Amino acid sequence: MTKTVSPACAVSLCLLGVALHAIGAHAADGDWKRGRVYYQKVCTDCHGAKAGGAIAPNSRSIKDWTAYLSADRHARGKDALKKYVSREYRASIKGVNKAAEKYADVPDEQLFNDIRSFMLKGAKDGDSPASCT
Amino acid sequence: MQMPMHAAFRTIAVMAAMLMAAAAHGAPDAASAQLLKSTSDHSKFKVLQQDFQSGPEVTKACLSCHTEAARQLQLTQHWKWEFLNPDGRRLGKKNVINNFCTSVASNYAYCTTCHIGYGWKDDQFDFTAQENVDCLICHDTTGNYRKPSGFAGNVVTRDTEFPPGSGKVVKALKLRPIAQEVAKTSRDNCGACHFFGGGGDGVKHGDLDSSLASPDKALDVHMDATGNNFACATCHMTEGHQVPGSRYAPTAVDKGGAHLRGKERTGNPTTCQSCHGQAPHKANLAKLNDHTDKVACQTCHIPAYARGGIATKMAWDWSTAGRMGPDGKPLVKTDAKGRVIYTAAKGHFVLAENVVPEYAWFNGKVTYTLLGDRIEKSDQPTRINHFEGSASDGKSTIWPVKVFRGKQAYDPVNQTLAVLHMAGNDDTAFWTNFNWEKAVAAGMASVGAPFSGQVDFVSTESMWPITHMVAPAQSALKCRDCHASDGRLEKVSGIYIPGRGSDHATWLDGIGWALAALALFGALAHGSGRIFVSRRRT
Amino acid sequence: MARVYIFKRFERFWHWAQAALVVALLLTGFEVHGSYRLLGWERAASLHTSAAWLLIGLWLFAIFWHFTTGEWKQYIPTTEKVFAMLKYYLVGIFSDAPHPFRVTRLSKHNPLQRLAYLLVKVCINPLIWVSGLLYLYYNELGATVFAGPGLGAIALVHTAAAFLMLAFLIAHAYLATTGHTPLAHVKAMITGWEDLDDEPAHEPTRSHT
Ligand code: HEC
Repeated sequence: MTKTVSPACAVSLCLLGVALHAIGAHAADGDWKRGRVYYQKVCTDCHGAKAGGAIAPNSRSIKDWTAYLSADRHARGKDALKKYVSREYRASIKGVNKAAEKYADVPDEQLFNDIRSFMLKGAKDGDSPASCT
Repeated sequence: MQMPMHAAFRTIAVMAAMLMAAAAHGAPDAASAQLLKSTSDHSKFKVLQQDFQSGPEVTKACLSCHTEAARQLQLTQHWKWEFLNPDGRRLGKKNVINNFCTSVASNYAYCTTCHIGYGWKDDQFDFTAQENVDCLICHDTTGNYRKPSGFAGNVVTRDTEFPPGSGKVVKALKLRPIAQEVAKTSRDNCGACHFFGGGGDGVKHGDLDSSLASPDKALDVHMDATGNNFACATCHMTEGHQVPGSRYAPTAVDKGGAHLRGKERTGNPTTCQSCHGQAPHKANLAKLNDHTDKVACQTCHIPAYARGGIATKMAWDWSTAGRMGPDGKPLVKTDAKGRVIYTAAKGHFVLAENVVPEYAWFNGKVTYTLLGDRIEKSDQPTRINHFEGSASDGKSTIWPVKVFRGKQAYDPVNQTLAVLHMAGNDDTAFWTNFNWEKAVAAGMASVGAPFSGQVDFVSTESMWPITHMVAPAQSALKCRDCHASDGRLEKVSGIYIPGRGSDHATWLDGIGWALAALALFGALAHGSGRIFVSRRRT
Repeated sequence: MARVYIFKRFERFWHWAQAALVVALLLTGFEVHGSYRLLGWERAASLHTSAAWLLIGLWLFAIFWHFTTGEWKQYIPTTEKVFAMLKYYLVGIFSDAPHPFRVTRLSKHNPLQRLAYLLVKVCINPLIWVSGLLYLYYNELGATVFAGPGLGAIALVHTAAAFLMLAFLIAHAYLATTGHTPLAHVKAMITGWEDLDDEPAHEPTRSHT
């Protein structure tokens, strides 16, 4: 059985009626859509099921996320996000996670950048605040 | 948003550091380097390297290369919001009255937020001006393009207080980076409007909401972001900007085969059959292929809608709108899950997720109740629109539908539906002063329709085809879902469904069981007699 | 006691296989009809179809067998002794009167049996067979031949025939107990040998201790 991400991270782009800054820097941005898929199907999958509730990108500001991502002390320092983005990790969950399977061969840095794009874009003060409701 | 200088500096420094780190880890090797599918990189075009001050400026730049685009778009329903029904009546967003927010007329500046144009603020809009076509709403890939409500579909490129005097500021949008990254449409583009029909996420259709922006396979086998990842246009295959598959012109029954490359396509490319053909089930399930003459694919393959975690509206009662809370402010009520089920502006709603559709014969014809049509308040709700079809017309199949039930304003004297002036910064708008008579008077005046001065409420019903959120095969309906009494198709008449009690000839079942009982009783009686006499003999 | 070999091996196989299939078809058929839930509609429907094909196959063999062996003549109806048989079942059987009919190899069914089986063979079976095939191939015929009556009419005939078969089955199963001992007929249908009462047999028989 495939499970639905149901309430978790049905990212509402709240498109209309919300006007916000574009942060520019488009060329350096990762592929936010790929980041979105990985975030929803890998990160949220774990948070929702095991780590007490989804973590919405719009729960923090761009500044906070930037700092969080560069420090990379995931789960209160227990491990690193890089680990969960790595090819090894993707290979290990490939059998049970379609996103990990689909992006099995994306270089680590590229995928990390994609996730970063999505999180910054979805931040509280980002261009498209993304909730996980 | 303004960041303090030092914070901004730090952000930039961190970003730069990360980028350098990424570079140091190794540039992507040749094998994994992505081949750009498009032959052009729009960021390299001179004409797009300007600081656009308005939407139409961007459009002019687009048209300088894509010379025919605006003309193509101006032929479409997306542009005209008008559709000529085969029965000769004028439909389309511009003309119909529905039982959600009711009508576009007299509320243009708000509704046209979702128009693919700039500046449709009243009925004087110039539909021939090419620069009024909005290219970016469909071709933005950054996900950052937005048209705020109340601006008649315009983008806001300077921080603007809105509504005036409210102290709320609509932030400026930078068009340049957006224009430089345009590409083919994606689910996010179409979804920007179509996920939010009816005034909010998932409100109107039930099978279209923002959960489809990046769904998993369980939600939709075709759009599955980790699998097939269809864009809307994969099925709504568009040529020359003419998007096929409007619900105003539905193909209820497709008897054609799968569309093949190299063969001229004539049929609607959005039907299931246009890819799957007429006998999609494998030999071991061949009996299922026998169902396709009577049952639309969607009926079995979309077991429920609103499955993505976003509720859809099932009913809307306008008649209770306008209540104030104890604090004298417009009342808002939420349910246990925190979802809004009442607002003073809109009245009561019924919300639902994982909704089992209703089912109806549908032959592709839809009839509408339009402004000016005589309606009566009775036990039967007024049909805002109605799917035509029957078991016997030879052109219908059984379709899953969302039936949306409402109670909305009408003129009890003239017996017509009412055009409501809902939104606007004026004294007559309902959302400003909560006065029905004024709102209807202004609404009716805006379209030149007569109004008696009285407002009453009438029950209405509208039908929406369910066709998205196709579930994986293993979640499709099982035989017993319909082949049973009180099954999903219990109310669908005109067809014999094996296993459905209401189709039985009661006389035959009565006689049949009586006959069997008689045989059994006779045997028992005869047998007991034999046992009795043989006992007595011994 | 004298014995006569009346049911040949194929005949016995045919009888019991047919019995099993008919019971299976009735059970699954009425579930498909919607009378109860037992196996689940899907399984019932697919078992019903498979069993129907087996039965059709079996019938084809049986028809062939009946004609090549001449056994079909066993079903030629006769009025001779019909009333005697009726009287026996209604009265005689309770007073231990002698059975009015003697089984022989050339005439193994009593006149009532002849009539009943003939009725099954020329009325009920064809009704089931034809309506069942129409039911199964409704779609293929629907467009061309059978736009008219519709599935409902076909189902009606099929169901009616099924009820007749059910009534026959009950009566048949009961009447199988009316031999000289309650299980005599059943035993004959298993072994092929029918015990005869002590009266002399007209047919060559084999004695047995
Ligand atoms: C194997 C499971 C797992 C995966 C996969 C995972 N996380 Fe976590 N995550 C956790 C746990 C456990 C916590 C700690 C929760 C707590 O302390 O309450 C956490 C916490 C977090 C937090 C909250 C701050 C913190 O670090 O404590 C963020 C943000 C976060 N994760 C982001 C991510 C992102 C982004 C990804 C995907 C690249 C990801 N996580 C993948 C298990 C996971």
